[in-house]
Amino acid sequence: MSASVEQPPQGAPALRLHRQLVKIWATGPGWQRLAAVNHSVIGLRMVITSFVFFAIGGILGMLTRVQLATPNGDFMDAETYNQVFTMHGSMMLFLFAIPMVESFAVYLTPKILGTRDFAFPRLTAYGYWCYLLGGTILTVSLIARVAPDSGWFMYTPLSSNVYTPGVNADVWLLGVTFVEISALSLAMEIVVSVLKMRAPGMSLDRMPIFGWYILVTAMMMIVAFPPLILGSILLEIERAFGLPFFDPTRGGSALLWQHLFWLFGHPDVYIIFLPMAGALSTMIPVFANRPLVGYRAIVVAIIALAFLSFGIWVHHMFTVGIPHLALAFFSAGSAIVAVPTAVQFFAWLATLAHGKPRWDLPMLYIFGFFFVFTAGGLTGVMLAIVPFDWQAHDTYFIVAHMHYVVAGALAFPMMAGFYYWLPLLTGRTAAYRLAVPAFWLIFIGFNLTFFMMHLTGLLGMPRRVFTYNGDEGWDWLNLLSSVGSFVMTIGFGMAVIDIIVQLRFGRRVRRNPWNATTLEWAMPMPPAPYAFASIPRLGPGKEQAAPGQLALSLARGEGYLGFARNGWQETLGVHMTSGEPDQVIVLPQPTYLPLVTALFTGAAVLAMLFKLYLLSLAMALVTIGLFVLAGQRAGLGRDYGPLPIGHGASVPPHTEVASAPPWLALICVLVADGTLFTSLVFGTFYLWIAAPHWPANLAPEASRVLALGVIVALVIAAVAARGSLRATSAGARAQGWIGLAVIALLAAIAAAVGLIGSVTPHPHQHALGATAAALIGFVALHAGIGLLFLISNLLRIHAGFISPRRLTDLRLSRLWLDYTTVTGIIALGLVLALPALVATLGARP
Amino acid sequence: MNGRAVPPRRLWLLAAGFLVWCSALVVLYALHAIGCAFGWQAGALRWSLAIVLFVHLIVIAWMWRHLATARPEPKLGQAAVFLQTVVVWTLIAALVATVITFAPSLVLKTCI
Repeated sequence: MSASVEQPPQGAPALRLHRQLVKIWATGPGWQRLAAVNHSVIGLRMVITSFVFFAIGGILGMLTRVQLATPNGDFMDAETYNQVFTMHGSMMLFLFAIPMVESFAVYLTPKILGTRDFAFPRLTAYGYWCYLLGGTILTVSLIARVAPDSGWFMYTPLSSNVYTPGVNADVWLLGVTFVEISALSLAMEIVVSVLKMRAPGMSLDRMPIFGWYILVTAMMMIVAFPPLILGSILLEIERAFGLPFFDPTRGGSALLWQHLFWLFGHPDVYIIFLPMAGALSTMIPVFANRPLVGYRAIVVAIIALAFLSFGIWVHHMFTVGIPHLALAFFSAGSAIVAVPTAVQFFAWLATLAHGKPRWDLPMLYIFGFFFVFTAGGLTGVMLAIVPFDWQAHDTYFIVAHMHYVVAGALAFPMMAGFYYWLPLLTGRTAAYRLAVPAFWLIFIGFNLTFFMMHLTGLLGMPRRVFTYNGDEGWDWLNLLSSVGSFVMTIGFGMAVIDIIVQLRFGRRVRRNPWNATTLEWAMPMPPAPYAFASIPRLGPGKEQAAPGQLALSLARGEGYLGFARNGWQETLGVHMTSGEPDQVIVLPQPTYLPLVTALFTGAAVLAMLFKLYLLSLAMALVTIGLFVLAGQRAGLGRDYGPLPIGHGASVPPHTEVASAPPWLALICVLVADGTLFTSLVFGTFYLWIAAPHWPANLAPEASRVLALGVIVALVIAAVAARGSLRATSAGARAQGWIGLAVIALLAAIAAAVGLIGSVTPHPHQHALGATAAALIGFVALHAGIGLLFLISNLLRIHAGFISPRRLTDLRLSRLWLDYTTVTGIIALGLVLALPALVATLGARP
Repeated sequence: MNGRAVPPRRLWLLAAGFLVWCSALVVLYALHAIGCAFGWQAGALRWSLAIVLFVHLIVIAWMWRHLATARPEPKLGQAAVFLQTVVVWTLIAALVATVITFAPSLVLKTCI
């Protein structure tokens, strides 16, 4: 039952097609810029914003170097210094490094993969606004002198209420969590887009290596961020409401925070490194004039790296008193993680060795990276060896190592990538007279600053001290470090001037100035809002077409979707492995909704910060309402059947297929949420086995009737969701089933709330009660989100967005309720098992 | 455009080897912590750790053997060959990583 659609114009000339597509895809002028959802616009904004935070973080770093340049420095007092170094680390990691690599991914990934935009443009925009607002909260706290001051990893008990009674730690916990929401949403967006929105014919074996890097990185983010989000939520709950998850005097454990933090923190190093390695793997073959050596080996290496990086978080905790056998697991893992990194290095070197390398500006930075990252990697292997780590722990050696692997692995490829892709953005080339000296100043300054820190560390200088006496032998090393930091800053300053000069006066370059083979060069320079006027086809016999030639053909509309239809922002969805087109994805138009939603999210965070909890709850509810509202406008209001996409092919719209992007997105959400849930379960077991003050006679009690009531209600809701799906598929009314599911979920929530009220010991008194309450709260929260799914289903059925062919909404609800039921059974089972677990503690020697 | 393709669910195999490695890490770390906390006999703890380690090694080795000998269907194209190669090598990498990372459980003293 294919409905009629506006027929595409035949043989549209390039200019006419350009005008038609710009009308559909362009972001409006003036205030309408705030409604932008286009990945090029958002990506560029993220780049600029991340560099503003880089500048602020860099200035803070300079301030610490001024303070430490000479002994007994009185440039800052200890309290100010604590805020400055904490914010330096937090900004560089959370507001610069992660968003910067994401901004590269946002701007470049759709272009390199040959598609027009990301799968969820409004989510991209929401992620950006969350990032901007969260970063602004942190920055303003610095100006107001209430910035976080407990170090960038916020260790408890220093960051607990007892030792940090002000709002400083709350600013970090709330601000960083806010930014993490942004990072997580963008990561899900990237996974879905890479898997579902490539150019037709781009099977996984043909995907540019950058796609693999970004895909693996985004998956790592989906798994890495939830433990820290959970830790931040639990610590904020402890600070705000007194539930003692991390308080050892009431059955909590300060080390639980370290575990949750480093479960995020260590993979984060690779989350930063891998996209930059992806940029290197893209650039090096271009300058070597030959394809990348070892494509398959690199894919294996990055998968191995992704997993191994998660399994070595304890190497940040070698000194906390873990048994030696367990330390050996993490020590061995920390050493072998160097192997997949080395595989990539040798692949890059082999590419250069077997090619005909040409020297250009990005290559300078690539060689700078080789030097710096090799040094950082070697000290990493040193620190993987437990006895050495015990000596160097919490000294400046760690600061040096960390800057070599994180800053070096980020800054040098980033600058290489900038100079490589800047012509794409500007259509102009760099002014070499400035750019080359800038590199040498950055390279020399970087090594002068951070190499000296190895030596100060080996001489025993602890990190985070705000001054020293001058009789320790650290004076000249610190002075050289400080001088180096200024040299490096001058280098970055020159690079900024160079980029401004390039933007304003740079020599215009021809299309594809580097003779690259990736698709981002097969488009206008700078890119048009629609990216590709028509979507390229890859496959046998097609990959040899140079991007320059391909660009002209695509501009004439000779690829897929080389026309405008119904004013829709259309792109193609493909089969995940083969890359064959299987759906037309109709993307949403610019809207202020992401900005408004982010503002309300920010208001909820700020109200929480100022301890206005009811207001915070109200703002959170408005935010949720806005998400439901956004869902109301998604998709198509009627069935269309297969739509022509060009070249004689037709595929259905994304609303009428089972493998639509939202389905994959929900799987990503569940993976992230499942990681958070697993972390919560881990936390419960960890406190049981490791926390002090969990005596066997502290027997908890939970109402079995209520717990069983919750489980039964969740099962009924899941069954009812299935019923609604079956009914709609058969063309019958689903409202009855949905109503039953709503009632079941309301009953589950009521029973869960009753269960929390009956938890003993009281959640304020002991971590045992607090973890039980957290587990039950998790179930109640998910049942509440399930309610939102169902309400959205009812509204969308009423509005005509759901039909026997458009079932995605109902399938999403079913999946969510299945997940809620499974996690609910596990969580409540654990709560019911707690008395038996606690009783076993009596058997401990 | 409607030719057969590798089913997307097979992409999970890319992670299979290292998921088993993760499982080994979690189970061995937890078992070791519980054994030490409850004062298990060193011999009993050692045997428990060894059994868990060998079970994980056997699982990875079985997957390796199973997948390395399976030929990809020609009609699934080059993507199937590529995926099989990558999956097999991730299994080999995971097997080696499991041996190196967790071998200490066979030789080091258990609870100091």
